[in-house]
Amino acid sequence: MSTNSTGEQQHGVESRQVLTFVLGNETYGVDILRVQEIRGWTAVTKIPHAPPHVLGVLNLRGSIVPIVDLRMRFALERAEYTAITVIIVMSVVTASGRRDFGVVVDGVSDVVDVNAAEVKPAPELGERGATEYLLGLVTVAERMVVLLDIDRLIGRELTAIVSAEDAEPLAADAA
Amino acid sequence: MTVDLTQFHDAFFEESFEALDAMEAALLKLDIGAPDPELINTIFRVAHSIKGGSATFGFTEIASFTHSLETLLDELRSGTMPVTDQVSDTLLKSVDVMRAMLRAVQAKQPIDAQRVSDLQFDLEVIIATKNAAPAAATPPAAAPAAVPAAASPAPPPRWQVRFRPFRELMARGNDPLRMLRELHELGEVRTQIDAQNLPPLADIEPQDCHLAWTLELPGEIAEEAIRQVFDWAEGDCDLTIERLGDVPAVPPAHKPAEPTVEGIVAETLAAPSAPPESAPAASAPAPAATPRSDTPAKTESGPGAPGDSGSIRVSVDKIDELMNTVGELVITQAMLSQLGGQFEGPQAEQLRAGLGQLERNMRELQESVMRVRMLPISFVFSRFPRMVRDLAHRLGKQIELKLTGEQTELDKTVLEKIGDPLVHLVRNCIDHGIEPPEKRIAAGKPAAGTVHLDAAHRGGNIAVEVSDDGGGLDKERILAKARSRGLIGANDTLSDAEIYELIFLPGFSTAEKTTDLSGRGVGMDVVRRNVKSLGGKIEVNSESGRGSRFTITLPLTLAIVDGQSVAVGSETYIVPLISIVESMQLKNGNVSRLSGKGEVFSFRGDYLPIIRLHELFGVEPRTHELHEGLVVVAEGDGCRAGLFVDDLLGQQQVVIKSLETNYGHIEGISGATILGDGSVSLILDVPGLIRVASMRAAA
Repeated sequence: MSTNSTGEQQHGVESRQVLTFVLGNETYGVDILRVQEIRGWTAVTKIPHAPPHVLGVLNLRGSIVPIVDLRMRFALERAEYTAITVIIVMSVVTASGRRDFGVVVDGVSDVVDVNAAEVKPAPELGERGATEYLLGLVTVAERMVVLLDIDRLIGRELTAIVSAEDAEPLAADAA
Repeated sequence: MTVDLTQFHDAFFEESFEALDAMEAALLKLDIGAPDPELINTIFRVAHSIKGGSATFGFTEIASFTHSLETLLDELRSGTMPVTDQVSDTLLKSVDVMRAMLRAVQAKQPIDAQRVSDLQFDLEVIIATKNAAPAAATPPAAAPAAVPAAASPAPPPRWQVRFRPFRELMARGNDPLRMLRELHELGEVRTQIDAQNLPPLADIEPQDCHLAWTLELPGEIAEEAIRQVFDWAEGDCDLTIERLGDVPAVPPAHKPAEPTVEGIVAETLAAPSAPPESAPAASAPAPAATPRSDTPAKTESGPGAPGDSGSIRVSVDKIDELMNTVGELVITQAMLSQLGGQFEGPQAEQLRAGLGQLERNMRELQESVMRVRMLPISFVFSRFPRMVRDLAHRLGKQIELKLTGEQTELDKTVLEKIGDPLVHLVRNCIDHGIEPPEKRIAAGKPAAGTVHLDAAHRGGNIAVEVSDDGGGLDKERILAKARSRGLIGANDTLSDAEIYELIFLPGFSTAEKTTDLSGRGVGMDVVRRNVKSLGGKIEVNSESGRGSRFTITLPLTLAIVDGQSVAVGSETYIVPLISIVESMQLKNGNVSRLSGKGEVFSFRGDYLPIIRLHELFGVEPRTHELHEGLVVVAEGDGCRAGLFVDDLLGQQQVVIKSLETNYGHIEGISGATILGDGSVSLILDVPGLIRVASMRAAA
């Protein structure tokens, strides 16, 4: 570990650890320092007027944590929640401070070291594939890993949900 | 290696604020003419320990100011100078200034140097006058150079008003714009704005006031009229009203003698001090003196904080953590009890006995932890003697303040938020409730009015009462004002209670001058809003000629609520018991539809709307048929409605958890709690629900 870090310093390259997880056919990665814990699936309590990908809230050792389904967020085919479905609890930094939330993923893969130099920028995919919440792409063991910027992916949304509701309650599902 | 002194800052600030409170209390008890030496000693010790501490930490302005203060106090202590009204006023002002300085330093904001040096000058003048008295006719030492300036031909006299609101002015229900407008009504105003404290746009809180004004008004306006404009901002701003064009005894920008600071540092640390070239030099001696630097501050502050035997200082975070853990334990215990009930066999009885014991202990533990967060309301009450004294002084009224029930305890968060509403109420009582002495005597009452603050536990609530023996609310004026504002129709007849309710309406406020008696409505809507946000209510009672009484009822804690669990489909919700009127089963016949839209049912002669929780929350219910489920009649904000649910589950005390920490506010939901099985259940906010439902029905 220590030799590793001196090596990095000599090259002047920043390296960090990334937790990778699987969603459909894709592998995604998030900064491991943002990960609070990994836990199995348990039933959530629904929140009224939440967007569809916010499944509800869970009790995480005394604090109430919203759970987001990344498959729905990425408009992937919906999967069944089973005993082996995994929730990764992460913290995001938003304009209003730190918030914890859980994401439902298909499975957790590995913890890998990623060198900043190896990260390639995500190609512009036009309007459809919004790339603003991607930090970049990196190849690990011949697989492409999509590095996510969770502050942008989730943090902004959580803030947006709340402010939209404040402005116009019930707009989401007025029927 | 240098020791990082900043780690002691928090302790210093906290101790200093407490010491200042003690100093203020002692000053208020101080008898003019025959002061109690013990009180003077207390005051002296506070000044001394703050001086020592601030010099150690390099807060030079505070050190310099307290040095002057200490010099004056030393004269008082040795008895060479009598305690006069002027001295005691100046000392009280010093407490305010020190508080403001400490707050500024704590928030890493610039100190209001003008205010400090003005007062420091006053202090030095008092000392100088005393010393100069035998020598006679020597003007205060700081002024000699300035005297010739006064000889220039005098311009027409004008008032110069320096108005520097504190940041929280607007939050207290004051509006600077309104005051400026009122000043314009008095005469031509020359306005100069000082925006130098304005933070960058991104950091601006719209509720905060960052501006200050220097205003010039024609000299013929009465000072009283100008002061009245700022009546309500009193205590929330720095205000100086000076007459220009008269002989300026002192040039405005005088600086107190700086070098004292070095002296103090040397004196406090008893270590070689740094060369006095640079102003921040005061922090330089710190490394040299490290081994001793924190010791003097600590030992000196000891005697300054009176009567704290057997207590320790614990950060609120730690207590919250403890509460959380205990909350978790309660849940685990509930889970075990549930499991234990299902056990069979020879030892099952023993197991259940043990679990019963556990439950009792848990409850006690939880209550004890709750009590740790409770503080006596005297923390809030203690600010009133000073405020009442100052206000009474200025308004020329005689007022006696009676405080009872000061030991009543309530949760710290509630305590912190109840202060401002109470200040508003007490001010109202003094300004508009209590009559001037002549009027009181004419009415056969004692010349001195009484303002009474009382606190007491009532059930699971705390009731705080503010009452006065003044003139009471003037119904006619309230009605007239409400009519002129269009709050009620010209011919509406209202009961007394309804009339008093009017003062809490948002539109019923103070665009008029505060001399107007109906100015009692000042910020009352704000008061009510604050109280409501704490889950409490405020009521008013008044008797013409006998006085009025405001009663605030608050929950003891914001952390726990008595709730009724209800089932809707697979979800469980908690309805706070306080908002439930009753629960009932509807028969098929007594539900009607209003124009095919909203459903109503009759309840004790009223028709109440039915809120179908499953529709509102998008949950699949067990039944859609009203007569198969239950209706919980709930009340909020004076409105009632029937909440349609599948079933009632049970009543329990639940610990309130915030949804806003990680998610956000949801209309109609006040928070969440964790049930015995570890799952989360949402707590309904009945007033919010009724609001949402009626908006929906209207849509």
